[in-house]
Amino acid sequence: MVKLSSYEEKMLKGEFGEFKQKALEFIVKYAEVLGAEELCEINRATLFIGAQHYLDCFNDEDYDEIFSKFYLNSNKTIPIGKFSPTCISQTCGAACDYFEYERTHLSKEFHEKNNKFLNITREAGVSIVDSCTPYYVGWIPLSGEHYVTTESSNVLMSNSVFGAYGNSDGIEAAVCSAICGRTPLWGNHIKENRYGDCIFQIECSIDTTFDWDILGYTVGRLLPHHGKPILVGNLKKPNVNKLRQCFSSLAVTSAAEICHIVGLTPEAQTIEMALGGKTPKAEIKITQKDYDESYHMICDNGSGEVDYISLGCPHLALDELKEIALYLKDKKIKEGLELLIWTDYATKEMSNVNGYTRLIENSGAYVLTGSCPLVMREESHKHARGMLFNSAKQAHNLKAQTSVKVFYGDMYKCMDAAMSGVWEV
Amino acid sequence: MEVITIKGRPTYKGVAKGEALVCPDSIAGNTGGLGDLDGVIHEKGNILEGMSIKDKILVIPCGKGSNGFSAHFKSSKFMGICLAGWVVTKIDSRLGAAIASLEVPAVSDFDDIDPMTIIETGDFVTIDGDTGIVEIAKKK
Repeated sequence: MVKLSSYEEKMLKGEFGEFKQKALEFIVKYAEVLGAEELCEINRATLFIGAQHYLDCFNDEDYDEIFSKFYLNSNKTIPIGKFSPTCISQTCGAACDYFEYERTHLSKEFHEKNNKFLNITREAGVSIVDSCTPYYVGWIPLSGEHYVTTESSNVLMSNSVFGAYGNSDGIEAAVCSAICGRTPLWGNHIKENRYGDCIFQIECSIDTTFDWDILGYTVGRLLPHHGKPILVGNLKKPNVNKLRQCFSSLAVTSAAEICHIVGLTPEAQTIEMALGGKTPKAEIKITQKDYDESYHMICDNGSGEVDYISLGCPHLALDELKEIALYLKDKKIKEGLELLIWTDYATKEMSNVNGYTRLIENSGAYVLTGSCPLVMREESHKHARGMLFNSAKQAHNLKAQTSVKVFYGDMYKCMDAAMSGVWEV
Repeated sequence: MEVITIKGRPTYKGVAKGEALVCPDSIAGNTGGLGDLDGVIHEKGNILEGMSIKDKILVIPCGKGSNGFSAHFKSSKFMGICLAGWVVTKIDSRLGAAIASLEVPAVSDFDDIDPMTIIETGDFVTIDGDTGIVEIAKKK
């Protein structure tokens, strides 16, 4: 039985309207499933909503009906009301760029449907940001702040680096939390549950963003179920972009929600602090052999033609757009090949101001916003004859959507292949 | 036929019966890992790639991958393709959201024994989400 405050009791009785009542009903049910004893207030949310492909099961476009059935678990259609005024809510990655659809091979109708849905939730209180790296544009929960997010790498970033409190709840639960302002007080919302319990001794050299991407994938695949990793060893001090990459791949091969890095993340200034005085359940070494094995699991074998290359999973920071712009300056990508560079709208605007977008697009590449091939799905890339990504998350998951070769390499190798049209081992 | 009984925490009400589908590496929650429209596991490298969740008792150690994990189960439910029930070694947030959203019986949090080590794909499993009792009729 979940203990509710008097305010929550009133909401559950419907005193604040049916929209909030249904959302809280779902959160209470979710809390019961988890075994939580009470709820906590959340102040921030990012939501993977709009015309996402998980809604393809609905034939019509009555968003009130879809929203009620899918997010509120209600067969009765309840008009979309207001989201919680005390929770800063914004959209996560979208199924389509808000401004573009032709460059990504999507239909005008789908683009309009996505924008229609996003505009409805904007009116209800959810700002359109369409970013899976919301910390680049100001969505930063502080230490101890409770939040929800539908982006798995953002859970790891927010818990591990910002010291904020959140779980990988899932889309329906996150949406309902953003409406009623509550989530179960469970898991990473309680300090006692946040200590690490699996020590990873990193013996191979980890330095570049690409290394961190492979490291996350490797830690995830070797992490015992329910384990909370603590990383120590041969790690050159990363920056936020490298951690973003590590966390994105860690959340592909595991269910990790917090990752301590000794001497770097706030709850892991020492191994003892990260463990909370407990004995670790596992101690695992990561060697160059493990690194190489991961690489070959992510990247298809051999050389081959590539005509579809995408950088920016998760969405890139301004300094990375600058790097790309300077590398592509005065160069041309192969005719007929697509090189897609993904970021968010705010960062693209800064890229425009600085001239980076112009340098990138003069090469024939596109700077796109708010989405990625994985969430746009097959319609956007079914014409590809060979694919290449700089992200383990994108490469691993795209293989479920295509039968062509999927290669994986660092940002510079991807740009070189964009000029030659060939991925060479 | 050998029948084994184990007990976990009653997690979602109701009784469900069906053939077990055991997922030792869970299922990637990312878009495309579980087909939204067909309920088939498409994750490359998953030992259950190509298998449908329809009417199965899903035996799973934990969630994995995207926080969208629950949404793909939900979408296939709207297409008429739904698992019959859940047996979960230890509850986590991805699975918790999926169980609450699908509203089919579930038992989780087995303290003394890991159902992953007892149940095999093809065993006939009956779960009681009100008592936490799970009965396993071995296929051999």
